[in-house]
Amino acid sequence: MSKIREHPPDADGEMTSPKEGDLEAFAVFTQLQRGDPHTYAGCVDAADAKMALQFAREHYGQDQPCVNIWVVPKRAIAATEYDKDLIWRYTDQTYRLARGYAKGVREKWEKIRAKNDLDDYEKEDLKEMF
Amino acid sequence: MDRLPENLKQPTIDLLLAVADDKLMLGHRNSDWTGLGPILEEDIAFSSLAQDEIAHAQAIYELLSPLVNKTADELAYGRSADQYRCAKIVELPDNFDWAIAIARQFFCDHFDRLRLGRLARSSYKPLRDLAYRLAAEEQVHVDHVDAWIVRLGRGNDESKRRVQTAMDGLAPLAPMLFEKVDAEDELVDAHLYPRADDDMFHAWRDVLQHVAHEGGLSIELSPPDEDAHGGRRGHHSEYLKSLLDEMCEVYRLEPGAAW
Repeated sequence: MSKIREHPPDADGEMTSPKEGDLEAFAVFTQLQRGDPHTYAGCVDAADAKMALQFAREHYGQDQPCVNIWVVPKRAIAATEYDKDLIWRYTDQTYRLARGYAKGVREKWEKIRAKNDLDDYEKEDLKEMF
Repeated sequence: MDRLPENLKQPTIDLLLAVADDKLMLGHRNSDWTGLGPILEEDIAFSSLAQDEIAHAQAIYELLSPLVNKTADELAYGRSADQYRCAKIVELPDNFDWAIAIARQFFCDHFDRLRLGRLARSSYKPLRDLAYRLAAEEQVHVDHVDAWIVRLGRGNDESKRRVQTAMDGLAPLAPMLFEKVDAEDELVDAHLYPRADDDMFHAWRDVLQHVAHEGGLSIELSPPDEDAHGGRRGHHSEYLKSLLDEMCEVYRLEPGAAW
């Protein structure tokens, strides 16, 4: 520890601060590359949005290359409640998922691509002959 | 130019030492705040900015290294106090008064942004390339400290009074950042340290006053006394010696030790 820190002086007088606190929570969203979605990175407490951006830049922007940051006051975010709000249904609705299509669709696409390749090949072949 | 003419070598060394030494001392002073910042977020941010300052200093010492035949570490830690070229304002302890730390940063960051802006147009290519990158990072520091000045100024009576007192206390000292190193005019004439588009002191004073005004604060600044001898010519406060004694403590145990 630095010697200067062994005896930090006491602040003169009582520090004043409002009862409700000076700070507000902001959610931070970072974007790793242009065009990528902004993803939730965490939270900072700050006095205003400008300061929140400053903090977010040092907290979340320095760990990995990052091109853009959003901060949103947490109070502006409306959210569901874990216990109260049902999102995933209880009844079997797996038909809503596209999983079942995957295999058949891939086979169809492969057939179409193979045919296209053959057509292209024939076109080139004809060009060379005539 | 890629190589320095012989007659400009020493002035260039002095100028770059001034830039690097300012940053090293400021970074060191600011790093004392790690763990003691006013709020957790700022503690981390301020520490990160302190690391930036030290990284900037290191990059400049490395640029200097071949010119003086010394390693960056030898330059940073291996000199006696009178061989440093930093200004007095970066040497003073802030006694852990956040208003003083922010006011000091305010004067220094704006000065540094302007100084790096000039160096980013230098005729000496290695310096120009480095200064260009550092100037972009310095802008981040400026944004950070400006936000704090405005925030403290508009906070409550106490925060306003304290930041105004801190700025008033440092204002007589701050213009000595502009003290010239020996033969600085020759560097300016050779475009190695190109002239600012507008007078640099006035540009500095205007931007400080503008930001202060936004926070409901005021700053009085007089141009530096041309005849005063200060840090740029090796005249330092007693605080530099104690700062160095502590900062260089480990280095001095075994200079040149491999880490």
